[in-house]
Amino acid sequence: MKRRQFLAAAGAGALTVTLAGCSLVPVIPKRPTSTADDALGWIRHDNGRYTLWLPSAEMGQQISAALQGLAAAELGVPPAQVHLQLPSTRHIARVRATVGSASVQDFALPLARACATLREALAQGQTTGTLAARDIPASALRSLQPRTGVTKEAAVAPGQLHALVTGQPLFAADTRLPGLLYGRVLRAPMSAEITSRPQAWDETAARADPACVAVVQHPRLAQMGSLGLGIVARTPSALDRIEAALAVQWQVEDGSAFEQTAIDERIDIDTHLHRGPLQHRPRKDELPTDTAWTLDLRMDVPLAAHAPIEPRSATAHWLGDAGKEGIALKVWAGTQDLFYMRDVLARQFSLDAERIEVQACRIGGGFGGRTLCTVELEAAVLAQAVGAPVKVQWSRAQEFAQGFQRPPSSHRVRAHVQGERITHWWHALASSHILFTPAAMPVWMQTLADLAGDSGVARGAQMPYDVPQQRIEFTAQRLPVHTGPWRGLGAGPNTLVVESAMDECARLAGADPLAWRLQHTTDARLAQVLRRAAAEARWPERPASNATTLRGRGIAGGIYKGVSYAAAVADVEVQRTTGRVRVVALWCAHDCGLVLQPDGVRAQTEGNLVWCLGMVLHEQLPVARSGVAAASFADYPLPRMGDVPPLHVHLIDSSAPPTGAGETAMVAGAGAIANALRDATGVRFARLPVRSADVLQALSTRA
Amino acid sequence: MHITLNQQAQPVPPGWEDEPLLWLLREPLGLTGTRFGCGMGQCGACTVLIDGVAQRACLQTARGLQGRSITTVEGLAAPDGTLHPVQQAWLDLRVPQCGYCQSGQIMGAVALLRATPRPSDAQIDAAMAGHLCRCGTQHRVRAAIHQAAGGVKP
Repeated sequence: MKRRQFLAAAGAGALTVTLAGCSLVPVIPKRPTSTADDALGWIRHDNGRYTLWLPSAEMGQQISAALQGLAAAELGVPPAQVHLQLPSTRHIARVRATVGSASVQDFALPLARACATLREALAQGQTTGTLAARDIPASALRSLQPRTGVTKEAAVAPGQLHALVTGQPLFAADTRLPGLLYGRVLRAPMSAEITSRPQAWDETAARADPACVAVVQHPRLAQMGSLGLGIVARTPSALDRIEAALAVQWQVEDGSAFEQTAIDERIDIDTHLHRGPLQHRPRKDELPTDTAWTLDLRMDVPLAAHAPIEPRSATAHWLGDAGKEGIALKVWAGTQDLFYMRDVLARQFSLDAERIEVQACRIGGGFGGRTLCTVELEAAVLAQAVGAPVKVQWSRAQEFAQGFQRPPSSHRVRAHVQGERITHWWHALASSHILFTPAAMPVWMQTLADLAGDSGVARGAQMPYDVPQQRIEFTAQRLPVHTGPWRGLGAGPNTLVVESAMDECARLAGADPLAWRLQHTTDARLAQVLRRAAAEARWPERPASNATTLRGRGIAGGIYKGVSYAAAVADVEVQRTTGRVRVVALWCAHDCGLVLQPDGVRAQTEGNLVWCLGMVLHEQLPVARSGVAAASFADYPLPRMGDVPPLHVHLIDSSAPPTGAGETAMVAGAGAIANALRDATGVRFARLPVRSADVLQALSTRA
Repeated sequence: MHITLNQQAQPVPPGWEDEPLLWLLREPLGLTGTRFGCGMGQCGACTVLIDGVAQRACLQTARGLQGRSITTVEGLAAPDGTLHPVQQAWLDLRVPQCGYCQSGQIMGAVALLRATPRPSDAQIDAAMAGHLCRCGTQHRVRAAIHQAAGGVKP
């Protein structure tokens, strides 16, 4: 076909420019609201047996048990009679991603309506056919009625727990197929923000390994700026040997090198404030220019990793003998966004989405990090190249380096205290993108999106207390290391800073930290969790220091996404000679409205508290030589068994609409631990994490 | 070549004799309960018992385990399905969140209780320090070990 004919064929005055298999605009995740009619596709009845296709990803939040329990309660059968299945994209209508702790909020009501409709139809003797959901009010749904403590506990559904403790296959990497091969995509050891490609490699040496199947070059092996080189082998560990034998040399764009200091400089809050107002101002009350600030506090929070114990994995299988109509590609994935995976694969391979089936698998730790199509695409490209099913599981080093990270943030809080009140509050922060993640958005698109402001960066920066005059402003800077959603988005760092500043204000006013917070709020639910956490910890008792050990206690509270409440009290011990910090106890009061599955909410709260502990005392993702410098858990220490104290979680009995619990306690735990550390040592640590060496240095400076 | 796996003689498929035990178990033998987390003995997700002692399967090979007895999480329960007391405690206290590290945690706990039937908190913390969990289940792991040890905390 000649060029002129081709253009004519595009026809009708419209000229579109497309590149093979891709487009300049990335695939945008769709976020439909599920209805009760959609939910009727999640629940099925066949000969006395119920099957529930789980509409949200299961990644440890026990949503499977929560929705199984809800369905059982509505259907009027024991939970074990509701058979749980993780769906593929063929089993259910499109659902939104599992993010933002919204699964109960999004899915409880439609599922309950669907189950009630099914129950009524069965009671009337109907056993076949498809139903249309009735628009039953929440107040008439038995599964959504508040229950007393005893019946709540009795309703606990098994979810996948039995399969977990007996080691049954559940995760994407547990997929096994006849003739399965193992793949990996090698990439330049640097950030995908930098353009890089394989330049030279020793294929002869690689092929000398009897387990080597193929070395794959393909343009679809690109992730942002990084073009990879694929390898496929007969055993998983042969991939390590082949990678070493290939000794790939990389071509890297000039002038792109960076170190940690580049990141620190780009988000330095004082540099930004010096230039004038920040780009986004969620609160912009006028502040008097002559205010003498009672408090002027700078705090910096570093880059952090998701560090799930499961390195992400996918298996892809091209069904060569399927006709033009059937499924052409099947992928097993542990993803927070099943249908987005399918959309990306459809775009990449120019296939009709209906010809791709993505099967959901349990996720071995999501925390916001499993939202993009990475390993799924790698597996699909390699499987197509070798004509056999291929499993890819990232190495630990890849998991650290190739995902996106929690952005670092740099904060300055200024407050004016008059008598017993904060009268003026100014919180400025500089960070990197979270919802507009550079791992999926090219620069031009992010710049456009930035006009609206990345609300993920600002999450939790709106302080939960009553202060008449407030300025809250932020800027998001694109960093050379890709950042994105992490448990609680900006809420963990932002509320830590807010609650640290609140604590300092209380000290400056000579007030009790609990009383100080209570006199700054008229929100009854916030006051309730603060009082409850304090009461459980026998506030204002506090542990006493002695000759060898400094002891302190801190409190903090907050509101997550405007709907969920948490407060925490922490006790810490600091060894004077070593600087070692130990959190010895944590109490947390939690209010997420009506609780469908109390034990699941308690578990999520415990998890958040451990994340808070790690955030304050352990976690910092190092950057060096133009990328993430952590290759193993030795470079990114997580809290260990001996670091985690007894956790006392108290759920508020509430009949308010159910909200989220997966990230809520992030707004309380970190502040409580930081404030306890301040209480014990007399030092407000301005940089996280606070490690033994930092404590020793601060103590010696103070002495 | 054969290994003794969950009390049965198990032939090792050709080409897998010198591969890490982790991959031999997971891929050709299909025992996927032993999981890959780091491949360098840092996380504990692939813990199995070798002659009753907790070992990381990513650091062992079939050839190195001739004549030794290997137990995986799939081999813990009785043939009739009755769970091992450690598995039962894990279920009762609903320890797992995402669950990816939990078969390794369970194997570590079984080995601990074989050596120390009534461990203290400090003994649990020391024995389980090499088992990472990102979800934050440490508090429940400790409680479940006490429960499996007889329910009374020393």
